[in-house]
Amino acid sequence: MDFIASARDVRFSYSDSDRYAVDGASLFIEEGSYVALLGANGSGKSTMAKLLDVIEVQDEGEIKVFGIDTKDDDRFWDIRRNVGCVFQNPDNQIVGTTVEEDVAFGPENIGVKNPELSERVYKALKYVGLYDRKESQTAYLSGGQKQKLAIAGVLAMNPKFLILDEATAMLDPVSRDEFLSLAEKLVREKKISILTITHDMTEASRTDKVLIMDKGRITMEGDPKDILNDVPKMLEAGLDSPIYSKLLWELKNVTGIDYPIDNARSIISSLRYLSTRFTGVRIKAPQIKKTDRETLISVKDLSYRYEDKGPYAIKDIDLEIKKGELLALVGRSGCGKTTLITHLNGIIRPQGKGRIEYRFGDGTFTTSSKRDIKKIRQKVGLVFQYPEYQLFEDTVYKDVAYGPKKMGFKGEELDKAVREAVKIVGLDESVLDQSPFELSGGQQRRVAMAGVISMKPEVLVLDEPAAGLDPKGRREMFKTINDLKESGTTVVLVTHYMDEAYEHADRICTMKDGMIMGVEEPCRMFEDKEELRRMEIRSPYLRRFLEILSIRLGLDPVSRNNLLKAQSIRQAALMIGGADA
Amino acid sequence: MLKDISIGRFYRGDSVIHKLDPRLKTILFVLFMVAVFMLENPYAIGCLIVFAVVLQIMAKIPLKVMWNTVKPVLPIVILIFVLNALTIRDGKEIFSWRRILITDTGLKSATLMSLRLLMMIFITSIILTLTTTPLKLSEALEKLFGPLKLIKFPVHEMAMMMSIALRFIPTLIDETDKIMKAQVSRGADYDTGTVLKRLKGYVTVLVPLFVSSFRRADELSTAMDARCYNGGEGRTKLHPLHITLRDIIIFIILSLCAVALVVIEKAL
Repeated sequence: MDFIASARDVRFSYSDSDRYAVDGASLFIEEGSYVALLGANGSGKSTMAKLLDVIEVQDEGEIKVFGIDTKDDDRFWDIRRNVGCVFQNPDNQIVGTTVEEDVAFGPENIGVKNPELSERVYKALKYVGLYDRKESQTAYLSGGQKQKLAIAGVLAMNPKFLILDEATAMLDPVSRDEFLSLAEKLVREKKISILTITHDMTEASRTDKVLIMDKGRITMEGDPKDILNDVPKMLEAGLDSPIYSKLLWELKNVTGIDYPIDNARSIISSLRYLSTRFTGVRIKAPQIKKTDRETLISVKDLSYRYEDKGPYAIKDIDLEIKKGELLALVGRSGCGKTTLITHLNGIIRPQGKGRIEYRFGDGTFTTSSKRDIKKIRQKVGLVFQYPEYQLFEDTVYKDVAYGPKKMGFKGEELDKAVREAVKIVGLDESVLDQSPFELSGGQQRRVAMAGVISMKPEVLVLDEPAAGLDPKGRREMFKTINDLKESGTTVVLVTHYMDEAYEHADRICTMKDGMIMGVEEPCRMFEDKEELRRMEIRSPYLRRFLEILSIRLGLDPVSRNNLLKAQSIRQAALMIGGADA
Repeated sequence: MLKDISIGRFYRGDSVIHKLDPRLKTILFVLFMVAVFMLENPYAIGCLIVFAVVLQIMAKIPLKVMWNTVKPVLPIVILIFVLNALTIRDGKEIFSWRRILITDTGLKSATLMSLRLLMMIFITSIILTLTTTPLKLSEALEKLFGPLKLIKFPVHEMAMMMSIALRFIPTLIDETDKIMKAQVSRGADYDTGTVLKRLKGYVTVLVPLFVSSFRRADELSTAMDARCYNGGEGRTKLHPLHITLRDIIIFIILSLCAVALVVIEKAL
């Protein structure tokens, strides 16, 4: 078997660091294969990608790409021009102002001449479906289109090997699916080898081979079915497993009956195993505790457009946010979620007859009144996407104290608020004197959240709080969010991850084209398939799996309905494992 | 709020001005700037305004886009108007109150000065920024200043830097907007207080903006490396610049207009 890329005992450290980012890694990628590289944040995955494209050169060890040594100064251009990279942030890899200019940038660099040049550019654009927009400005494309543009820019170089460095991390589920199908099409049709770096286990399960990286080295490698289904090991590595293997694992925890590891290798084998053991079980209805909650915020007749006579960003929004609930807000990118949440703390004021009313403990407030705005900003904390990009003070303490200080907290009260907030987000008090810019990305995110929590808000609005975090980071983030909810904070959560909304939310609000399509309890909202298609919403993976499972187990309609009410894998395992045969 | 600013933003179109060779456009731009500086006569400036409007129609740019382009510089235009009106004290008195004296000469000169500045912005954006993509513009500059390569001046690098700066203006404006909203929701206030206090307030925007710009620069350079960027040597072009007969005709007509403006100025 020929290797498209191989690395042996590679070590590398950045010049401004005394730590090895890659520390003894060895990997082999076969020609024409689709390989996933998984690992926690900071495990050295992106650095490995840079080494394979000769953007950095290793300190020790040997890397060969297309059989060429990356240390061969005369030939490394032959590597670079045949390796294509797509990175995470679409904005930071586009050079051209118009779509065609950007796609041409690569081939222009390697001196491809017309007419071949324009042929390559237009062929690549047609392949990714952006040909009609060839003269559009890149700045006005959507996130999904920008990532497709990045792929086109790489395709125009006729690469043999494609590296995707968390290329889908910033995309909504629909765009993500489109992007992944495109990648799979490249492997199949163009025989391009792909190395994809990702935190998405579903994406990883679709590849030929999985590599796990931990602390700068490859710790596991093999068939995705073998690697990913080993739940305890994956959790330990800070990663995650597909739903079917996690369900078997939870069943083992619940019933105490061990299952042979082979049974969790694929959807089919796990279904077969489950149906031999649990066929025809009768599943009881889950206990759902109904809590009547009072309305805390009521949004009425809210419409907003950024320009006079321009299109509506949101239209005729009526929404009640209940005290103490966790409300998830879902919908495709650009559907108006951000516009809606920036209304909630008065950054954008309602236009026309729109009105937002707040019933806090100490009275009723409205954003229409200028006097109430300060109060509302303090009571409704808003954490934007990637909040770590707004840190500015030289110590964590000062940054976290900025908000409450502006809100009039003083002396001991201020100090207490800062220390409490840092504790809530799960950071140690020792970070308080450090510069926020020296912390890791995940810690910075927590500092930024603490900067809002320290204002003691009654409502916390979180826009994709777990974006870009590894699975372990995501789990910890949701623990923090649930803790906040337990302590009485009302949470509004904007997310692209349907499974997380499904598991944690009390109600899910769906938006499309600036309008609210419905507000439902999670277990009720995914019943009508037609409706979901119309709303451009994907069912949670868990629910999709349980639907297949209930058919395989031959459940009676009542049991089936009951099983589909399970909102977490653990709950589903308890229901199946505890049922009467 | 910040999103309305359209300096440096390209307006897509297929007018004759859009298609004109960027090198010729750059030369035209210089010609017109020289002409605008020389104009003082009200009739000549009147002709200039008519000419600018004709240009706008030729370039098929809607009034709204023009207004967004001009809007951000209006404070400066008004400032120049006021300063001129207040400082020029000869001529016939029109209005006086305590030490403030406004004369007809002052008013006239103030009007002319601010109109000239306005027309400069107007013409620059029509000829260059609104109708030429940054990449085309930098290509033109690279070609025009090409001879400087002989004295080892990094012409290509300068041009590349310029086009990337222009490409990132909309991205950075969006980012500034985001950061400001985030800080406002933490209680920052950029609209009230003394000037000093407001300037200090902007630290909360500038620090994150700088940090993120460095991060972007880092990521962009990696992405450019990955796409085999290696300086100007041996690069080809998707749409190489070439001057058509139509370009030459338009160029001659427009430069004659510039000359005509100066002739009108001198003749009157």
